[in-house]
Amino acid sequence: MRTALETLIRSLSPGAAIIIAFAIVSAVALVAWPIPSRPGLEMWIFSPEHRLLYAPALDDRRDHDEPNVNLRVIGIPALKRRMMSGFFAGLQTADLIEVERQMAGQAFTGPLESVGFVDLTDRLASEGLLDQINTPSFGPWSSRDRIFGLPHDVHPVLLAYRADIVEAAGIDLSTVKTWADFRRVMRPLMVDHDKDGKPDRYLLGLWETDGDRFETLLLQAGGGFFDADERLAMDTETNARVLAELISWCVGPDRIAADVPDFTAAGNKLKIDGYAIAYIMPDWMCNIWRLQLPQLAGKVKVMPLPAWEPGGRRTSVWGGTMVGIPKTSQRVDEAWELAKDLYFSDVIARELYTRNDIVTPIKTYWDDPMFDQPDEYFGGQAKGRLYVEQAPLIPARTSSPYAKLALDRFRDAAVAVAEWARKNGTFDASALVPRCRDELARAETAVRRQMERNVFLEGAE
Amino acid sequence: MRSHSVSLKMWALAAHAALIPLAILTLIPFVWLLTASLKSTDDFFSSMFLPAGDGPLGIAWGDLTLEHYNRLFFELGIGRALLNSVFLSSTTAVLATLACAAGGYALAHLRFAGRGLVTTLVLAALIIPPPLLLAPTYQLLYELGMLDSYTGLILPALAPAFGVFLFRQATLQSVPRELLEAARIDGCSEIGIFFGVVLPLVRPMVGAFILITFLATWNNFVWPQVVLQTAEKFPLSVAVSQLKGVYRQDYGLLMAGTVVSVLPPAALFMLLQKEFISGLTAGAVKG
Amino acid sequence: MSGRAREQGSFAAYMLAAPFLGVFLLFVVVPLARAGVLALMQTYGPQDSRFVMLRNFTSLVQDPLFWRAVGNTLVFTAASVFIQLPLALGLAMLLNRPGLRGRGAYRLIFFSPQLMGLVFVAMLASIIFEKRSGLLNQALHAAFGTSLDFPWLQTFVMPTLIITTLWMYVGFNMVYFLAALQNVDQTLVEAASIDGAGPWARFVNVTLPAIRPVASFVVLLSIIGSVQLFELPYVMLNATAGPANRGLTIVMYLYQSGFETGDLGYASAIGWVLALMLVGFAAIQLRLARSEAKA
Repeated sequence: MRTALETLIRSLSPGAAIIIAFAIVSAVALVAWPIPSRPGLEMWIFSPEHRLLYAPALDDRRDHDEPNVNLRVIGIPALKRRMMSGFFAGLQTADLIEVERQMAGQAFTGPLESVGFVDLTDRLASEGLLDQINTPSFGPWSSRDRIFGLPHDVHPVLLAYRADIVEAAGIDLSTVKTWADFRRVMRPLMVDHDKDGKPDRYLLGLWETDGDRFETLLLQAGGGFFDADERLAMDTETNARVLAELISWCVGPDRIAADVPDFTAAGNKLKIDGYAIAYIMPDWMCNIWRLQLPQLAGKVKVMPLPAWEPGGRRTSVWGGTMVGIPKTSQRVDEAWELAKDLYFSDVIARELYTRNDIVTPIKTYWDDPMFDQPDEYFGGQAKGRLYVEQAPLIPARTSSPYAKLALDRFRDAAVAVAEWARKNGTFDASALVPRCRDELARAETAVRRQMERNVFLEGAE
Repeated sequence: MRSHSVSLKMWALAAHAALIPLAILTLIPFVWLLTASLKSTDDFFSSMFLPAGDGPLGIAWGDLTLEHYNRLFFELGIGRALLNSVFLSSTTAVLATLACAAGGYALAHLRFAGRGLVTTLVLAALIIPPPLLLAPTYQLLYELGMLDSYTGLILPALAPAFGVFLFRQATLQSVPRELLEAARIDGCSEIGIFFGVVLPLVRPMVGAFILITFLATWNNFVWPQVVLQTAEKFPLSVAVSQLKGVYRQDYGLLMAGTVVSVLPPAALFMLLQKEFISGLTAGAVKG
Repeated sequence: MSGRAREQGSFAAYMLAAPFLGVFLLFVVVPLARAGVLALMQTYGPQDSRFVMLRNFTSLVQDPLFWRAVGNTLVFTAASVFIQLPLALGLAMLLNRPGLRGRGAYRLIFFSPQLMGLVFVAMLASIIFEKRSGLLNQALHAAFGTSLDFPWLQTFVMPTLIITTLWMYVGFNMVYFLAALQNVDQTLVEAASIDGAGPWARFVNVTLPAIRPVASFVVLLSIIGSVQLFELPYVMLNATAGPANRGLTIVMYLYQSGFETGDLGYASAIGWVLALMLVGFAAIQLRLARSEAKA
């Protein structure tokens, strides 16, 4: 046996020997370096900005000897992946998870009792918290009349524009009430100084692949993917009309929109260069600009969105976050206290605006004078007030687990229409409407088929 | 004769003229990857490869920075993922090689009830696409309580049909029956024969298989992504891919993470080039 | 005596085969059987499940996303076989010139991208193909004045994936072809040359038949790999299928269904279709190889 072992060792190829050494050394290292267990509540968030936002409240808790909180910032795809894999398999995730609207729906696809979050409805009712928050703000976080999360925000939307460029050109935006006005008044800004046959600037940062912005503008116009009774309704006159208009902005020699991605350095550079002049701007985006585009301080202003028709809605809603407590948490009550500490405190509501530019969903804080402070970044405007004024007017949204699917299919429809428009040289909005109807009908069929396939939601409607 | 050698030289020149640009084209992404990981975010956008400046070769060498690597190791704890990758890959490689070698040898040279059936099953399993087993294996691991564990990742990878098939062929080819008989007559135990006689005889296959399994596990993404849940258990493939999608896209950081992930197997390859290539092309030689 | 020896041998045989057999049964045979059952169910994660019988398959047939995934996957597979492999063979023939210097170095260079796993290639490629700041658009802009905004990852997802895999796999497949070419009997080639056969005739009549076994193996390997494309688009497109699902592949749809939506049943049904496709390809390949051997 001994000689056999010797023969074996001597006969190992260098590669095999190295890998065996790796295995032994790494196993020892893993034993010597166990995963550190961190005492306290574990909280997953996807926004690095929230880490700063919560810091004072968490310091305060530490001073009062309350349980320690480990905040972890995780990218959205990864957070979604880890949350859902935890929910599916009943694995430990965190004690609190902040969830972005797009990923919440997936948690509600299964049977009600399999939703991975703790049902907060009764706690909210018994503690009298339901009345303090805008009731519609619970919409995206509810399923089958049960509430699974606390809303973090309202997220009204305005239009941001490069005031420096607009004003230098002597353009007066106060006359702009509708999108048609916007196009007409701003058009002279699209000039081609470098003579490359393309304008150096476009009017709007928007692209057909940009489902979020398209949905925002759809909601503004009174469209959307689900009707007031949560029934699927994608192929509608309003949706088709808006989609056709939006596509007409993105295609053809006369297009006014340009693709300026968010959150990427490449897109940021385009924003600094003034490649597009105006942007769809939810309150939270103000803060992203402030942090990532300091070069634009004082050069940006906001105004209510141009309406789709005279007298129409001048705002919309984009994004949203909730905090929920996974059922696998061992410390649900402590997590609930922490959630309330973070979401209901006046300090955080103030911090939320002064630090993150976000309007709190708690209505009683809306007359706070901080919203009237002039904002240097936004050319000295009382930007907060402009957002708060629009906050009660935001359109209602769905909580359907199929909202994400509907958005995806809608985006596919948008891309398909744009492709068709470019191929056929059809750039006029009204000529695109029939094509939009076709694509929307196709999208609706696809979503409906998925909805009907789900045996777990049967009887839920 | 002379004209023949001249034309040969011409041919060689023409071949080089085609090959050199292709070689450069192949290498450019690597160079770009490395330089991007060493540049600050500003330099990333203002220069294609290295930032221009007053240093030698007109490059601002002083502007290069290790900040991305610093952040990776000291803020984001990528060292843990590196260790996990080394552990998962090497352990899987060693154990799978042992299991496949022993299994392959048993199928080829030993008699036991059900051998024919197992051989048929192995051959049939060769054409099963791994994605078909993804969902049922996940459910099985859930029932066994092995989700989110190293075991749940290593154990199912220990019996690749491909591996056992390779070793069956290798032992059939290079282990003579007479030698086994002689060893038995000498009183060696069967286990002793396997380790002392069989393994040394299929040494090239052992080396090759251990290396390709190491590389394949290192680069495996789907299984750890599906099985693991705790961040501290992630191997590099999952950890680095999850650096993407945080609000601020930090290209330098992503590229530094990629460099950290590809350097160890690349170094291993440079060291063991011959063994590696014979391993990667192992399947082809039997034809 | 012989009976005892056989018994001993048999016990040892089980000992040696046990690790492999145990794992093989538990993690290949059992899941395979369960894949059959799962395909008849709808699930929400591994815990909630209901039998829906053949509904998964009838839904699949009507599912435009599934057909999109099949279409994309087939386009990619065709590109692998008809673009990537000929390039690999061409490269191998260039390298196979007798007396070529630096063959080892070339081989090493062309092979090197293969060492990077798909995920890491995807990380790199997702930035190289980016608009504006991406290396490719910048280089093309500098060389040919093309637009910096060429939307590789937005509109031309499949070409992007194909180009990326060219970089990754041409060298890899070249190694197979090179090994095969080096076994081609040079005297035959020379004989053909003396008989007045041109380069093309020599290639078709001498070289190609000689490397046919390896070539058909490489084709099959390439098909098997391409049909299972997943990590590359998944990571490059930020865990999505890209705009209009331009990067959706069969395995990505399987993954999305099983692990994002949580329907392991639907995922298994997709898995069976995938398996069926592979068996079909293998059968066609086998038949072609056989008929060629006869001819």
